[in-house]
Amino acid sequence: MSENYFSFTRQIFNTAEAAGKPEAFKGIRVLDLSRIIFGPVISRWLALFGAEVIKVEEPDEGDTWRLGTYWAKYRKDANPYFQALNPNKYFVGIDLKKEKGKELVLELAKKSDIVVENFRAGLAEAWGIGYTTVSEINPKIIYISCSGYGQWGPLRFFPSWDLIAQSMSGVARLTGFPGKEKYKLQDYYGDFLPGLFGVTSVLAALNYRAKHGKGQYIDMAQAEAIMRIMPNWTYMSVTGNDLESTGNVDPTMAPSNIFKTHDGHFVAIAIATDEQFSGLAKAMGMPELSRDKRFGDTLDRLKPENAAEINKIVEGWVPNKTENEVIELAEKYAFPAARVMDDWRIVKDEWRRERGSIVDINDEMYGEETSALPAAMLEKNPAKIKWLAKPLGYHNNYVLKKLLGLSAKEIENLRKEEVVGTWDNRVGHKPPPYYDVSKDPMFNYDEGKINDRK
Amino acid sequence: MTASEKNPQVYSRHLLGKRAEEQLARFDELLRGMMGSTENKPEALSGITVIEVGRANFAGIIAATLLGEYGAEVIKIEPPGGDPARKITPYGVNVNGVGLPFLMESRNKSYITLDLNTETGRENFKKLTDKAVVIIDALKPGELDSSGIGYRQLKESNPGLIYVAISPYGHYTSQGEKLSHIPDTDLTAQAESGYPSITGDPREPEPYNYPLKAGGIWAAWYMSAALAVAGAMTALFCWQTTGEGQMVDIATNDAITAWQGFQVVWGFTSEKPRDRIAGFDWCLYPYGFFKCKDGYVTVAAPLDQDFRGLLKLLNRWDLENDWRYVFDRTVDDVDKAEELRTELEKTLSKFTRDELTRKALDFSAKSARNPLRSRGFPIIVPTKEPKEVMQEKHWSIRNNFLKVDDPEGNEFIIPTAIPKMSATPPRVKSTKYGVGADNERIYGKYGLRK
Repeated sequence: MSENYFSFTRQIFNTAEAAGKPEAFKGIRVLDLSRIIFGPVISRWLALFGAEVIKVEEPDEGDTWRLGTYWAKYRKDANPYFQALNPNKYFVGIDLKKEKGKELVLELAKKSDIVVENFRAGLAEAWGIGYTTVSEINPKIIYISCSGYGQWGPLRFFPSWDLIAQSMSGVARLTGFPGKEKYKLQDYYGDFLPGLFGVTSVLAALNYRAKHGKGQYIDMAQAEAIMRIMPNWTYMSVTGNDLESTGNVDPTMAPSNIFKTHDGHFVAIAIATDEQFSGLAKAMGMPELSRDKRFGDTLDRLKPENAAEINKIVEGWVPNKTENEVIELAEKYAFPAARVMDDWRIVKDEWRRERGSIVDINDEMYGEETSALPAAMLEKNPAKIKWLAKPLGYHNNYVLKKLLGLSAKEIENLRKEEVVGTWDNRVGHKPPPYYDVSKDPMFNYDEGKINDRK
Repeated sequence: MTASEKNPQVYSRHLLGKRAEEQLARFDELLRGMMGSTENKPEALSGITVIEVGRANFAGIIAATLLGEYGAEVIKIEPPGGDPARKITPYGVNVNGVGLPFLMESRNKSYITLDLNTETGRENFKKLTDKAVVIIDALKPGELDSSGIGYRQLKESNPGLIYVAISPYGHYTSQGEKLSHIPDTDLTAQAESGYPSITGDPREPEPYNYPLKAGGIWAAWYMSAALAVAGAMTALFCWQTTGEGQMVDIATNDAITAWQGFQVVWGFTSEKPRDRIAGFDWCLYPYGFFKCKDGYVTVAAPLDQDFRGLLKLLNRWDLENDWRYVFDRTVDDVDKAEELRTELEKTLSKFTRDELTRKALDFSAKSARNPLRSRGFPIIVPTKEPKEVMQEKHWSIRNNFLKVDDPEGNEFIIPTAIPKMSATPPRVKSTKYGVGADNERIYGKYGLRK
């Protein structure tokens, strides 16, 4: 083929065309009863790829993460972090503690393909909105319960957060330098990784259902997902010892570390194979290192004393090079190296813009914002952000009128009985100060006007 | 109640009472059906063939493993000498020359060797991919294409093929092309994701003040693998109706950044990097590790009502006035935040891990009976070491560890497949890992040339 490979791929992944491409989950409806991060990111994936996600929140109270902002900062009276986790969703305020609220939720469950919840283990069941109830009225439902430790076993009622799951799985003592303070995995890795495993299980169930017409129940446990990716169990069973924290060294690679460059930046270098090592040795002007008995073979190089030795040699070399020089040499000699990026460089990063993983969006309510799309790019059915998270109960009329066929009067009665509702006056819950929802055709769900706009 | 001690402690009043009991009894029946053997249950991806090819890249290996857990037939193609990934292992520890991560992720695969540098090898490769639904390519971007067996060529004869490419910078963009020779590792992927730049304590002396990587796990490789599987299964769902395949491109250097998203939110709204704040958190506090009498506890009492509860159970109401609201506690000034930490630790260090855990649970159980929940749910747990976790009864009841006896007489433990699913549970069916172990069977089955 004469056309350059990267010209071909650039064309099939052209981000300018992404908006016009079909959505993978068009026609799939998700009832999302979950809150904070672990559950909402499961429906986030589905929403980004085109599913209609109905996010149910308690009127006036809302998802706790509406207020889960950093340093108590809000932008246009909204929490940008919450917005990033809940794009393309429909926001409805229903009180699950009221019988009529449960009835509404069961009506929605009847019309849905997937239910996501992350209450305490057993709570959705006790409330009568669990899988055993929903599957009676909708046998094809895929129902995922997310909890800290799973729905059975002695720890099942034990409470959880990302950090509690990190601590109960044993990963929490592994980040940090030996003999120094230990740190958590940042930005709620203990929610995001289990959430992503949850996505894969829902998709497995969805693929199975597409072929065999059967739904099922999924018991997704946060701590189990973290334990699934820890090498400690295998290591302990083979050596009798545990793996401990190693600072910036990855004990599976030698050399490996984070080094300071001549121009004051940080770069990571990690060598996984003999071939890569020989590349690095050449780049450092020390090709003889790959013939050294201590370093020539991976399994020898990884022995603690040899690994320490080779790390020292690289530590002596990097400070003579700038960040750019290290990366250029890595490309030339084919060894793994990378810049240590930061949040601000990431947002300005041309590469991510060109990939389409960082996008500028223009939301009708919030205007211009920058947000992220998952690093899995689909050629024909790419993820898209259509709108940011909206105020609490913003889509009440859409959901109750259009999906459940209730009349304006019935909705008004439910509102009076406090079965359905919207925001109280808190930031994070309410619309921006400049925005008049009373004139918003979606908020009022005036079908004619919405169609006019399209 | 299931798998139960009698009268288990609950932390929600909604779990109490006759009606809840009846509902939970029905639920238990469902759960009992999920506890036993997975052997006779169907698999979600049965009938789907996955070809895995890569070089020293565990993001690709793990992605294929996860698809195999869900029932796909996975054929791993290695060069005659084996994938160098076999030697990637902590401190060089190995079983029969095979590293522990490879053992851990070897499940449910067929292992064959093909020399893609030969005409026969490439022909055989094409025969396999013509029958496959998914290919996972974790080689250098463009490498298979230049051998005439990349996405462009394979989709000609197999338009349904889902081609999952996994590499540091991806298979498109100018930077992807410019840096296509740089191989993938977890550490470098963490770095380019900017993950280390938000961890650690800048007040420490060098090099302890450096950006700090996530320790103990391959945070970027596993995130990338799970993204690849989610991407592949999304494409697979489309394929079920259209029969059309497509390319799915994963950049491991972007996996953490783009999925967790907070770094982008921060960068966009602050227009500057985040300063590292040691053991604190930007959104939640108290939310961290504290020294106690016999080790460490993890305290999570971030909501205002949880924090008030924590002060009550520790008898430290004197701190309430200064630290009442979440925005008092998540300050950008680390030295100020340190004051609260020091005060809390002063009290926490008077008790053992078990005492504190019990105190918090009892408090929460009482709180749960309060219809207004105004007492909050402060959580304290021991910050467990992995060796303690391995002894936890809960995980043996849930079968999270599997003991493998390999044919050479080696014994080791691997974590089992997750999560639990009622109809199509993921599972571990085989644990062999030898280079070319399935050559004979697979060569025969697909009519490959020797």
